[in-house]
Amino acid sequence: MNENEQTRFIDWPGRYYHIDQVLNKPGPRTDENFNAGDAVKDFLRNQCKILVIGAGGLGCEILADLALTGFKDIHVIDMDTIDISNLNRQFLFRQKDVGKSKAIVAAEFVMKRVPGVKVTPYFGKIQDKDESYYMQFHIIICGLDSVEARRWINATLVNMVDEENPESLKPLIDGGTEGFRGQARVILPTVTSCYECSLDLLSKPTAFPICTIANTPRLPEHCIEWASVLEWPHTQGDKKMDTDDPEHIGWLYDTALARAKEFEIEGVTWSLTQGVVKNIIPAIASTNAIIAASCCNEAFKIATSSSSYLDNYFMYIGTDGVYSYTFKHEQREDCPVCGGRSVLFEVDKEWTVNDLIDALLERPDIQVKKPSLAAIRKDGSTVNMYLQGPKSLEEATRPNLEKKVSDFVGDGEGIIVTATSLPLSLDLVIKYI
Amino acid sequence: MMKDSQDIETATTAVGTFRSSAQPDNKTRRYDRQLRLWAASGQNALESARVLVVSASATSTSILKNLVLPGIGHFTILDSEIVSQEDAGNNFFLEGPDSVGKSRAHEAVRLLRELNESVEGIADTSDLADRLTDSSYLASFSLIIAHNLSANLLDALSKLLWSDPSLPPLIIVHSAGFLAEFFIQIHEHTIIDSHTDAAPSLRIDKPFPALLNHAQSLDFDAMDDTDHGHIPYVLILVRALNSWKATHDGQTPKSYAERVEFKKAIIGMKKKADEENFDEAVAQAYRAWTETKVPSDIEALFSDTVLDTLDPVSPPFFHLLAALKTFASQPPYILPLTSTLPDMKADTNSYVHLQKLYKARAEEEKAQFTAILKQSGVLLDPVMVDEFVRNAHGLKIVRGRRWDILGENSETFGKLLLSKETRKETATHLALRALSRLLVKNPNTQEPTKEQLVAYIQNILPDHVELPEEVGVMVGEVARTPTADLPNTAAFLGGLVAQEAIKVITKQYVPVKGVCVVDLIGSWTGILEA
Ligand SMILES: [Zn+2]
Repeated sequence: MNENEQTRFIDWPGRYYHIDQVLNKPGPRTDENFNAGDAVKDFLRNQCKILVIGAGGLGCEILADLALTGFKDIHVIDMDTIDISNLNRQFLFRQKDVGKSKAIVAAEFVMKRVPGVKVTPYFGKIQDKDESYYMQFHIIICGLDSVEARRWINATLVNMVDEENPESLKPLIDGGTEGFRGQARVILPTVTSCYECSLDLLSKPTAFPICTIANTPRLPEHCIEWASVLEWPHTQGDKKMDTDDPEHIGWLYDTALARAKEFEIEGVTWSLTQGVVKNIIPAIASTNAIIAASCCNEAFKIATSSSSYLDNYFMYIGTDGVYSYTFKHEQREDCPVCGGRSVLFEVDKEWTVNDLIDALLERPDIQVKKPSLAAIRKDGSTVNMYLQGPKSLEEATRPNLEKKVSDFVGDGEGIIVTATSLPLSLDLVIKYI
Repeated sequence: MMKDSQDIETATTAVGTFRSSAQPDNKTRRYDRQLRLWAASGQNALESARVLVVSASATSTSILKNLVLPGIGHFTILDSEIVSQEDAGNNFFLEGPDSVGKSRAHEAVRLLRELNESVEGIADTSDLADRLTDSSYLASFSLIIAHNLSANLLDALSKLLWSDPSLPPLIIVHSAGFLAEFFIQIHEHTIIDSHTDAAPSLRIDKPFPALLNHAQSLDFDAMDDTDHGHIPYVLILVRALNSWKATHDGQTPKSYAERVEFKKAIIGMKKKADEENFDEAVAQAYRAWTETKVPSDIEALFSDTVLDTLDPVSPPFFHLLAALKTFASQPPYILPLTSTLPDMKADTNSYVHLQKLYKARAEEEKAQFTAILKQSGVLLDPVMVDEFVRNAHGLKIVRGRRWDILGENSETFGKLLLSKETRKETATHLALRALSRLLVKNPNTQEPTKEQLVAYIQNILPDHVELPEEVGVMVGEVARTPTADLPNTAAFLGGLVAQEAIKVITKQYVPVKGVCVVDLIGSWTGILEA
């Protein structure tokens, strides 16, 4: 029996009664390419290959929704294992699964619950896979909580676009939630605004200045940061902190509490300690359901052309009534990933290379953590200004941090910014002010 | 809330060298990500809730999934049908062909219960028509949710529940294909913790005596550079405003020019150019001229009619509100102080000292408030009183409306349909309404045609209303998918409706008013209010 016959066998009569109402005939807002009937069903159920990145809060919902709508060849990647705090929303997992791979458990559950669906898990990082892997899919859906991972997959998919080969353009559907808020968006790499284009929409994480933590703590958070950032390396030496280890959290809590007592600061709790050191974002099943359903609905419409799809951003806020906003986020001409144009960067004449790096870290539209810099002169030659690694090069270029930017580049010349965590490089054109 | 004291002990003994008596038990760990939103009070409310869901459709089980996971106390599924082949294809809480032929309610309850052992679930396979007119049965629930209930049953159910305010609220959910809507029928809903973004006043313009004394007693000029650079901006502003008032007839800076001058005066207090605390004071200077008073929406609550007929059995919220009204009717005519002080540039001592002043004052004012409450002869849980006082600036009363109040006024429909802002929402609502009525009228003759649907809509609108294009589009959509409970629409509604149910149950956050309309082709949601 080949796979198609197996699929037909499993598709009991009436199985797709609900979905087929959409696939059997066009509606008022159906794309003109819509191929109603058997052709579209065959593509959806026997040919379409879809990748889900993340098997957590959004991922569990996404996998279930996709399976029920008739996607039968689903792949899922997740590097995490199941924790007890996942069970209030990640509904494919049970208490007995704690400690196991999210991708594997989720895949097995969906295959058991929805007969005939093949879910292929990969327990690992998205960065383990290369372009040839991503090329095999028709659509990719992301349910991630990491900005870095999203930037990586976004840039990878943009880089994959080959104008000669229409198949190389992979629609990327991205969802994200935080408490009662969330967003879903459709990215057509190089065609629409990409993840990088909208980096400045992200709220900036709260960062406490190190001098406050060390000298003038006022909040319980300051005491917790003191315990984790300063006291841990000070007293524990090279021992790596594991924020999932209750003993480590216990130590941090005790240490932070002692400091708080000393300064008469109230409010250090176990829960807050964990929240601060793990950067915990509140998460509930209902918001995840809304955003995952949006993502899968767009994937379904794109895969079947049965109706027009989101162009390109849906935002939901549920704290005060039901508020949502659907809009088109514009592509940024100077987007370092999809714009293909360099960024004009204003630099004070007196700035050192270190000042420039600080300014880069502050820019919400760039968001690099550890940038390496190389100057490009008008004659085409390049000079390393500062490299984060390898160690020998870092040491060799470290003295440059104190030199002035103007020692390396003149007005109108360029600097290439790279960061190991991101598959992209950013071209700055320096303008002195 | 922590019933599992056993778990705390086991956890504590299991942990090694560190003193970790504060380590949470398994239950707290499981619910950690939601407790950070609605805290133990919200969780308690959820665990006391009893929810009835009518029908075990894909949409119904999607809603329930998002209530069982966070841990509601009890749910009942009322459904007398057996699982069909069609049901088995679109419902994640049925086991495909294995469930076909079994009771839909029993199968769904069994699989939903697997999500959370602490939730009680019951399948009720009685005849819907009998149960839905039995008010003592309905009264045993705290919330009822009905998906795609036939129009005649829905009419009967919604009328019965509305007839007696002590009966539970009802969430009515309709969907067909990519279109959907839902409505919360609720009499009266009071919210103490609305999680509003509005920040309470720091009383810069009306400093309480201890704050004013403290600000005035500091000798700014005698401080060394470090101390001077760490004076909290609150003290800088109180002091600057006090000096300003002394030379301006006791008035705060009013005009733009005066405000610029006030900010200049603050800059003039700097010893060194880079003192960030003074820059903060400039940035926060608006607090000096923003008058601390009872916010207008709280003022409006003081004229609520329930306060006129208050008696011992009135809900605690209104007794608390009456006490708040009395509190605010006395000088200085403001709400009790909230002790939360935002972070600001300061050294530890001056910040903690300031925080203590605010806390002490907040306690005093809470004591005044409690005294007022006592005078009126009401005894309430101190935890509730505390929560009320802390959230006094964000209180809300929601007075809902009866289901279908829209449908009884064709003029309103006409206006909503012709207004650009509500046209697509109204068109969607009318299309779903026409569908639900016509499906009942011809239960055997299959799906209504586009023409029948349009004729129905034209008929319920005033004669002069010409149907805009949107009506044709939305009618076309429901005619294409009249009985489709699409998995994605079900999941989307499952999230939205559960979210609103959680708000209704916890009395935290603000539930949606009016009909919430969903179009998953246009990927938008909207609100329709009469
Ligand atoms: Zn871009």
